[in-house]
Formats: sequence, structure tokens, C-alpha cells
Amino acid sequence: MSNDVADGAAAVDGAVLRTVLVNGIAASFEAPPATVLTEVLREELGLTGTKVGCSAGDCGACTVMIDRAAVCACMVPVGRLAGTSITTVEGLTGDELGERLQASFLRHAAAQCGFCTPGVLMAARALLGTNRQPTRQQVMDGLGGVLCRCTGYQAIIAAVLDVDAADPVTVRPTSGKAVGASIERVDGRVKVAGTDVFGDDDAPDDALVIHVIRSPFARAAFTFCDLESFVSENDGITAVLTARDVPGVNRFGVIAPLADQPVFAEHETRFAGEAVAAVVVLPGFDFSSIEFPVVWAALNPLTSPALALHPAAELVHTDRPANVLVEGFVQTGDVDAVMPSCAAVASAEFDSPFVEHAYIEPEAGWAEVIDGLVVIHVTTQSAYMDRASMAEILGVAEHRVRIVPTAVGGGFGGKLDLSVQPFLALAALRTGQPVRITYSRAESMASTTKRHPSKLSVSIGADSNGRVTAMSFEGVFDTGAYASWGPTVANRVPIHASGPYFIPNYRAHSTAVHTNGPPSGAFRGFGVPQAAIAQETLFDELAGRLGIDRLEFRILNALTAGQRTVTGHVLEGGVGIRDCLEALRGPWADALTRAQSLNRANDRRHRSGIGVAGIWYGCGNTSLSNPSTIKVGVRSDGSVVLHQGAIDIGQGSNTVISQIVADAIGIEVHRVLLRSADTSITPDAGKTSASRQTYVSGMAAYLAGVSLRAKLLAMLDASFDSEFVFDAGVLRCHSDGVARSVDLRRLPVDADGFVVVAVESYDPPTTALDHNGQGTPYAVFGYGAQLIELSVDTATGRVQLHRVVAAYDVGKAINPQLVVGQIEGGIAQGIGLALLEEYLPGRTNNLHDYLIPTIGDVPPIETIIVETHDPVGPYGAKGVGEHSLIPTAPAILNAIHHACGIRIRSVPATPTKVLAAILKRGAA
Amino acid sequence: MSGVAFAYSRAADVADAVARGGAPGAAFVAGGTDLLQLWKAGRATPTELIDVYGLGLDGIGVDGDELSIGATARLSDVARHPFVVDQHPLIAEAVLASASGQIRNMATVGGNLLQRTRCPYFRTAGMACNKHRPGSGCGALDGEDRHAALFGAGSSCVATHPSDLAVALVALDATVEVSGARGVRRVGLSELYRLPGERPDVDTTLAAGELITRVLVPRAASIGRLATYVKVRDRASFEFALLSVAAVIRIDAGTIVHARLVCGGVAPAPWRLPAGEALLIGQKPERGVFTVAAAAAVEGAPPLPGNSFKVELLRRALVRTLTTIATGS
Ligand SMILES: Cc1cc2nc3c(=O)[nH]c(=O)nc-3n(C[C@H](O)[C@H](O)[C@H](O)COP(=O)(O)OP(=O)(O)OC[C@H]3O[C@@H](n4cnc5c(N)ncnc54)[C@H](O)[C@@H]3O)c2cc1C
Ligand code: SF4
Ligand code: FES
Ligand code: FES
Repeated sequence: MSNDVADGAAAVDGAVLRTVLVNGIAASFEAPPATVLTEVLREELGLTGTKVGCSAGDCGACTVMIDRAAVCACMVPVGRLAGTSITTVEGLTGDELGERLQASFLRHAAAQCGFCTPGVLMAARALLGTNRQPTRQQVMDGLGGVLCRCTGYQAIIAAVLDVDAADPVTVRPTSGKAVGASIERVDGRVKVAGTDVFGDDDAPDDALVIHVIRSPFARAAFTFCDLESFVSENDGITAVLTARDVPGVNRFGVIAPLADQPVFAEHETRFAGEAVAAVVVLPGFDFSSIEFPVVWAALNPLTSPALALHPAAELVHTDRPANVLVEGFVQTGDVDAVMPSCAAVASAEFDSPFVEHAYIEPEAGWAEVIDGLVVIHVTTQSAYMDRASMAEILGVAEHRVRIVPTAVGGGFGGKLDLSVQPFLALAALRTGQPVRITYSRAESMASTTKRHPSKLSVSIGADSNGRVTAMSFEGVFDTGAYASWGPTVANRVPIHASGPYFIPNYRAHSTAVHTNGPPSGAFRGFGVPQAAIAQETLFDELAGRLGIDRLEFRILNALTAGQRTVTGHVLEGGVGIRDCLEALRGPWADALTRAQSLNRANDRRHRSGIGVAGIWYGCGNTSLSNPSTIKVGVRSDGSVVLHQGAIDIGQGSNTVISQIVADAIGIEVHRVLLRSADTSITPDAGKTSASRQTYVSGMAAYLAGVSLRAKLLAMLDASFDSEFVFDAGVLRCHSDGVARSVDLRRLPVDADGFVVVAVESYDPPTTALDHNGQGTPYAVFGYGAQLIELSVDTATGRVQLHRVVAAYDVGKAINPQLVVGQIEGGIAQGIGLALLEEYLPGRTNNLHDYLIPTIGDVPPIETIIVETHDPVGPYGAKGVGEHSLIPTAPAILNAIHHACGIRIRSVPATPTKVLAAILKRGAA
Repeated sequence: MSGVAFAYSRAADVADAVARGGAPGAAFVAGGTDLLQLWKAGRATPTELIDVYGLGLDGIGVDGDELSIGATARLSDVARHPFVVDQHPLIAEAVLASASGQIRNMATVGGNLLQRTRCPYFRTAGMACNKHRPGSGCGALDGEDRHAALFGAGSSCVATHPSDLAVALVALDATVEVSGARGVRRVGLSELYRLPGERPDVDTTLAAGELITRVLVPRAASIGRLATYVKVRDRASFEFALLSVAAVIRIDAGTIVHARLVCGGVAPAPWRLPAGEALLIGQKPERGVFTVAAAAAVEGAPPLPGNSFKVELLRRALVRTLTTIATGS
């Protein structure tokens, strides 16, 4: 283009006027040539549909088409764009094929959090542009460069293959029929359109930008030089914040009594990536070449629990003796007496590394102060907890802080702790201006929580009939520098380590140990996935020794209603593990035959194997109150508005809670208007963790819906089972042959605009555990089992997964399609835990050294939904969010053993480890 | 998010590029997928970028007895070029095993051959690395050495070359055509790379300002020959090689008469295994022969503690690659 003068041979650096063709429209902006296309699209042209997950070509979230070819916009310098035509996700609207693709994604629920969705759609659109009817393999090749952490890719593949569906059906249940229907996500359309607003998507143009200064060392002392002149000598720098600028307490933590993490370290940092200061700069100011005036002195870090537990070890926190944060303990029966008399005992040690959540959306948000109210727009899983912590940090009352959660591009537990919130609030208060921050991928990975590394020592014994009679479990968990969710892990693990089986003699002890690693926190399963690896692989060894089929061994030992769990809790009903395992009997027999015939036919190099594992998982907090409150009301025009504070991080609570409330009220679900979480609008529905939203917030929604219905019918003086309709502003019903009506427009309106409103809370009935861990830790457990078919390339140690069959007892599937999505996504993360993922502090802070599963790593998944109506949950439902991840890794390890006779007890089972084990076995 | 600012301009033609490319601080940029990443990490600090993407050096075709691939041809165009697919499928295999579709739509052949190591210490600002700054130390030798080289490394640097394409091209006896201040020259691709020695910061034998204009593959390299590329990695796709093997053999009357065994991910450059090649010549294409040749090929590879598995893995990958070729499956 001739006006693009800077691209001529003589031009030099500098911001010059450029014109590019985006979605068919010529757009002009000023930028230096090395500015990347993502920045121009998002910041200059306001096209925020194109996402940034890594800025390095690793995630594909930024995929756009340039001249019909898919490229990573984060890598395209704008100096290069003259004469090209760019298409972004916004350009799919109006494009026939693009709109078909979007519709297919909605039908297949191929967008969960929706953060990868624009990139996936663009890669798919480019593929279809050259290959209108791709095969499954071609879809996988075409989409191989986009990472999705939520879906497990199966729905995405199905959606692309089904783009030309002749007669697509939209599920639109009638009144009272929403529960059990696979309705489209209520927030799905914005996700496929690229218009959903995530943490980095709506900061005001003039917002100041925050950069955080972080420790490069696992442990270091530091001193600042002259910060005042640093600010005054740099024109673009507005302010510097350090520990001295925290007006309240410089400490936060999700478990209040143990709160120990400073916003800014004071004197000494405890992990690599810990913040010491924040610099607030003008928008557009290039901070990268500025040297911050801090002097570091590296100190000797404690890099493992073994070092930290050494009697001579220094203390990470002086008030935590022996570097022990907490211990968990559950004991029943007499393990020591019974174990020696067992017919078979299997014992082993296991370990697992730090695992990173690797949601594709890095932490981001913006804040402003309005009339003394600090308003923080942020990607978070826990708005109310955030508000409480922020009030403490700022030293103000809670009503002075408002948390407005943006759409969340994946959380999995990693967005339960504070991240950007304190920096935003402090900077907004200090400068009086809107401020924003977006973590880089490296910053996100270095500074946020991880899955706890574990070292487990486990023994399980069974009698000669194959009944498991005794188990002992000793677990050491590396809880890193700060408490975070360490106590939850330490408490949950001993309760769950038995697996969903009846074990009369049991002792489990866990210790969460501080080190100078990154804080270990909440990650789908709170330590239970690590424990399940030990228990489920030892079960295989026992079955093998006793000559019992591995699946039958589990069925024989499965917990049933009326039996005591290891905490002495007698579950009255809804114990579905046996049903799940039995549902796998058919697939198991088929898979076994298939593996045997493959092994006969194969060259000796590829060995096929199958594995199974079962799990249980308690929904809600362990023995602690964790209430949810839901508000639903009717406006004078007859519209029904749901104030639902259960944050939807992609798992679908916006949709599921709408379905429950619609049926409870007795109206069509598409009539429910949604107000999502906002601490100034929606009541507290707790945090999105512990698989609690469907059950706990679902119960609150159910109760609120029933209460609203009762109020409406009382106004009509009609019986509770009468049917009613909203006829514009008039509520009408026919009851006992009489037409009744109430004119809503004449009723007084409350602050929310409601003429009738119901607010209800629900808190799961649990009891505290005694010194032996006995009690009722959860009101509801979910159950599941997975079967894996795989083959091992014994030449290279590479494991190839062929198929997963997952059977889950979800009580009642409120939305079966969303349940399947949760299961497929959990399995993909389980695959990562089993085969790929190992976070090394300081070394793997990117998505090419830290490997999460790509589309090619996840095999086809078949889900069997088992519904054993839960006596406690809404419509019998319970959670599945975390349950789905837990059995995958042990099932894979069991299948590897079945295939080639090796036992991998240290995940991830990379080709290197598998090959080493094969060689060792060969040598033995 | 960016390094120190630089001047940027498009080269008018090859002569212009070469004339300006030799200046201190000047660097060519093609697809930019590697250079701009290094720049962002502060590990490349050009003061002047000369854009060669638009020079029209992207032709792919037959030139006499050779296949000619322009230096700025995009990887995706190479992999789907009918002549490449038909006559030199090894090249297409190696390219399709590289990066992702999106990256291949930007990355060029020249840039791919000259991309720098993926050693994480090299690519992270603030870490000790002799390749970044000679004498500053080697983070990998003191730290995590799973990815370290088996061959050709020195005490200064144990990094490996990451390109898949280069491994295939060396197995096909490719040469590169280079334009520089002193005119045009041709250099065998294996001679393009140098070992770290005392200067781990210099990867190639190119003089300052020399521009790769095309890659040439002798037609004979493929005629009547059997070849395949095997890449071993942890993840199913979209990952650099843990190691890779390109093997080419020609069989005449039941005997192997030509053999090239080249491996990637194990040395500072694509690494030929002449001892293994020699043991194949004159032999029958049988598993027993392959096993013997593979064992000889890896002999003497001195591993570090963290990468000793690579010796056995390489041996197995060699056997596997050769078997695949011989059985055509
Ligand atoms: C996420 C990701 C995954 C990847 N995976 C793989 C993989 O699996 N296998 C693999 O092989 N590669 C992989 N790559 C690397 C990728 O192939 C290279 O980045 C790309 O080929 C470089 O080409 P470019 O044109 O973008 O080079 P540039 O970044 O433009 O240049 C790279 C270097 O080459 C020089 N240069 C470029 N062209 C010329 C020329 N004509 N003459 C002289 N010097 C020149 C530049 O000065 C620069 O030093 C991956 C990259 C990314 C980002
Ligand atoms: S191996 Fe080479 S590139 Fe890696 S840290 Fe050492 S010197 Fe740098
Ligand atoms: S943001 Fe571009 S690839 Fe991740
Ligand atoms: S839906 Fe793909 S990353 Fe969340």
C-alpha cells in the first residue's frame, strides 16, 4: 500500500500511520513496525475477540486469518501487513460458513470458558476454507496449534465435523422440563461471537498500566534504592508501590486464620516470582527496558519437603515449627493388627511434581475508584472471598470494595486465590485513575498456585476372598511458600485416600510442608488425584496377586449404601460407585479382547493394555459451613431475573442454575434473565470450587425458585400445583375453574426492580471430624470410574491412548451435555497429569516447556451417565467438576502395566521414564 | 513486552539486503517467528532489522538437476508443493512434524535453518548462558540437562539445534546458496553449521551480512531411494523433537548401496552418523543389519546424567526408522 510509507526501504523506526484491511474494512492506526497484530487488533481497533494466551506462538488463542491462512496474530509484526486482508472472529458474523461453524459450536457445547474459542474457530474456518469436508484426522491436524484446557477437544472435533448438519435441532424445553435437558449454554452466544468480556477485554483506554517486580530467586533478601527519584526521573512512571503502601494488613490467604501471603514481600522473598513492588506507568509507556532499582541477595532455598523437614532446616515461616503447615489424620479399626494377617499386601512409594493449571487466560483485570468505592473488574473464581481479603488489605469495610467478575478463561482452582486484585486496588487508590494489569504467561505461571507435589507411602492388604481389609497411607505434600489451600489438601486426602471402597481398618496421615517452591493451592481435586494414583494402582497389584479380574476386584470392594466410610459416615443412599463400575463391565470385556488380539497381531514393539480406576469425591467444603444464597425475582413487566453469584468459569453454572430455578418456579428456562456474579448485585454464592456449585448453589436456587413460586401462587390465592403465566405485566392462572390474575404493574418495586422476590440460602449439613477424623465431612459424594485403552511403543516409551470410557454417578444430570463436557475436560487434564505435565520453578514458565495436552493427545471419550438420585442434592444432582480428572492417571498407569509389565510410580510417565522402566525390566 | 527499539526497513532487493546486512547490529528478519521471540526475551538485540520476507525469494521448483526452494518460502507452502510431496516426501514429513499449522504459515525455510536453540536457559532473560554471552556460564550444564546434546557439544555449551527440516535436508545432501558482499557461493548444509568450541555464540559459518537465498536438493538424492523421518517427543503434536532421525537408503539388487543417517535434537547441528552408514553399505536391508549399524552409530556418545536415556532412545529410533523404510510401513 502506497500510504504505508514506513515500509519503504528508507524508512526507519517510529510510529507511523498504517492502514490495514480487517474484516473487509480499512482501518488506520499508528504503531511502530514491530508492534504485533494482537496489540493492534485489541488496543487500537477494539477487536478484543482475538485473545492472547502466551504471546509466543504456543497456544493459538490469537489465531486469525491473513489472506485466508491461519496465523498467530501475536507473532505478526504490523510492518508486514500492507496489502493483506485480515479476518478475525468478529468477521465470522456475516460469513455463511463462519456462522454455521459458530452454530455448530453452540450445539456441541464446544466452548466452555470460551477463551480459546475465537482461535479454535479461526483455525477451523481456515481449514474449511481449503478442505470443505475434512476427516477427523484432518480436523485434528488443522486444529493442532490451538490449546484448549477446558473441553478435552472432543466437542470441538465433533462441532467442526458437524458444521453442515442438515437439520440442526435446538433444545427448547417447555416449562418444568429444563432439568435433564441439554439446553445450549445461556452464555454461549457471546463466547462463539468473541464478544464475551474477559479480564483484559474492557479496561478504559486511558487506564494506567501496572508492572509487577518479582523475585528472580527462590529465596532472596532485597533492598530498594532510591524509589522517589526513580519515579521523578522517568517521565512515563506515575507511581511505585511496595509493602509500605499497603494501608491495611499486608497479608492474605484463603483460609483466614492461616493467612500468610504478603501482597509485597517485606525484606525477604520466599519463592521465585513473589512480588516486591509494582510500578504504575502511563498507557503505551515501554517499561521493558527500564531497570528497577532493587538489589537482590540470593539466599539458600529449601527446594523440597525432605530438606524442609530436616531438623536443622531454617523455617520458611518462623511461627510454623518444623516447616509443617498442617497435618490431616483419619483412622478407623486396627490397621497394625490386621495388615500382617492379610492374604496379600501391596506396598509402594509414589511421587508427583508441581502441576500448573495452565488456563489459557492469564490473570487480568482493571479497577477504578468511584465515590470512595473501589471497583475491581477481574477474572476470579471467588468474588466474595476476594472482597473480604481486599477489605483487609485496604483497611476498609467490605462495602467499600466491589468485585465485578469478568468472564473467566479457565480457573480449575488457580483463580481462587488473589492475584492481580491487590495491585489494581492499591494503584487505583494511589493514582485516583483507572488502572489495568494483565499477567504475561511467564508471570502467571511463576506467581500463581500449583498442584501440590506429593510423596506417598501406601500399603493395602486384602484377604484371600479378595476383600480389602486394611490400608495405611502416609503422604507428604509440598505446600510451597504460603498456606493457600494447603490445609484443604491435607484434610481432604486422608478422607478420600481409601477410594470409594469399604475398608474397615484404615489409617491415613498427611502433612503439608512449607518449602521455597511456589505456593501450592487448589487444583481440581485438592490432592485426591495424587492419592488415587497410589490406591488405584495398588488395587491392581492386589487383584493380580489374588488372581481376580481387576474390575471385579473393585466391584467386590465398592462402597454401598448403609456401609461406613473411613470417617464412620454411613451414607443412606446415592452411593453410585458400584453402578459405575458395573456399567464398565461390557466395555471392559470388549477392551480386553481387543487388547489381546492386538497383542497377538502386533509387531512385538507395540503392546496394548487396558486399565481401570474408580473414585469418589465429596462435594463442598470439608466439615465447614459453605453456604450459597440465590435471589430470584419478578419485575413489573413480568420478566423473571435470576441473581446468581455462582461464578461460571466455563463449567456451566450460569446455565445449570437457570435450569434448576426455572423448573422450581415452573416457567420456561429461556424466560429466565441472568445477572451473573457481582458483589454489589448478586448475593454470595460462595466460591466456584470443591465441585459445589451444582449441589450447594443449585439447592439454594431450588429453594429460591420454590419460594418464589409459592409467593406468586399465594398472591393469586391458588394452590401450589397450579399453573400460571406472565401475560406482559399481568400474572394469570386458572385454578379450580376460576380465572385469577394480579397486575404486577401496580405493585411496589424494590431496589433491584422486583415486585416479588425470593432469597434463599443453603448450607450442606456436615459435622466436624474428631481427633481420629471421624464424622460427616460432606453431605454428598459423587462417584465415577474410567476405563482406558492404550498402547505402548516399547521402542521409544511413548504411550498412545486409544479410547476412554467414563461412567459417572452425577445423581441427576441437570444438563447432560455440560456433564459430558466436564468429564471430557477433566480427562484431558488427567492425561496431562499422567503423561506430560511437570512444572519446574523458574524453568517451565511457558507453554512450550510446560506441555499440556494438545488435540492429538486426547483420544475419543465415551461417557456413561449413571443417575442414582441423591437424597440431598437439587433434583437429586451432585457435582462432577473435579471427579472427572481423578481416575484418569491411575487408569493410564494400570493400562501401561497391563501392556508391558512396568509399574510407573512417579508421574508424569514420559517416554523417558517408560523407556527406562522397560529397559530395567528387560535387564532384570 | 518488548526489547530495545530497532530501526526497521524492507530490503529493496538482494543487493540492498546484502549491502546493509553486514552493518554492526543489523539482522535479517523473515517470518520473524524466532527472531522476534528472542528480541522480546532480550536475547537478541538487533539495532536494525532488514525485512527479507518480501524479496520474492519464495519460489519452489526444479532447477536443472536440483529442487530449488527459495529461502523465504513458507514452511506450509513447501509441505504441500506437489513436486516436494511427490519427489522428496522426506522434506514434507519433516516440515509437517514441525510447529503448528499457524506457525508454518509464517515461518520460512531460511529462518527455520537459522533458528536458534530451544535451550530454556538461552531463551530466558537473566539466566547464565554462554551462547548468549560467552563466559557467563552455562545454565544447562549446572541445571536440567534432559535436552542436552550427545554429540559435538563442548564444555562451553551443550545445546542442540532444534530444526526438523535441517535434519531431513542434510540427509538429502542439500546445499544452500548464499549471497554476500563477495558475491554468491554455495555451501553444503552440514558445513553451514559450526560447533560451539570457544565461540558458542556463533551458530553458523555465514559471514556478517550473508543472506541465504535458496536451498538446493540434488534430484539424485531421492531417485530410487527410500527415506523416512521419525520424530520422538513427549506430546502428540506441536513440540520440538526430543530427538529425530532422517534416514535415506538405496537398495540395488537386494543390497544397500547408499545410506544417510542423520539425527536431530542430539547435537548443535543436524548430526550425521557415518559409522552407522558405513555398516549398512553392502548389506542386506534386514533387522539384524540395522541393529548392528544402529549400535555402532551411537557408540561413544558421552551422555550427561540427565540425558543418558537418549543414547538408547537414539539407537532404537534408528532401528525403527530403518525398519520402517525397509518394510515400507
Ligand atoms: C511455538 C513454536 C513451535 C515450533 N516448533 C518447531 C518444530 O517443531 N520444529 C522446527 O523445526 N521448528 C519449530 N519452530 C521454529 C520455527 O520453525 C522457526 O521459528 C521458523 O522456521 C523461523 O523462520 P522465520 O522465517 O520466522 O525466521 P526469523 O525469525 O525471521 O529468523 C530466524 C533467524 O534466521 C535469520 N534469517 C532468516 N532468513 C534468513 C535468510 N534468508 N538469510 C540469512 N538469515 C536469515 C534471521 O536473521 C534470524 O536470525 C517452532 C516455533 C514456534 C514459535
Ligand atoms: S547449553 Fe548452551 S545455550 Fe544452553 S545455557 Fe548452556 S551455553 Fe546457553
Ligand atoms: S497468544 Fe499467540 S499463540 Fe498464544
Ligand atoms: S474452552 Fe477452551 S480453553 Fe476454555
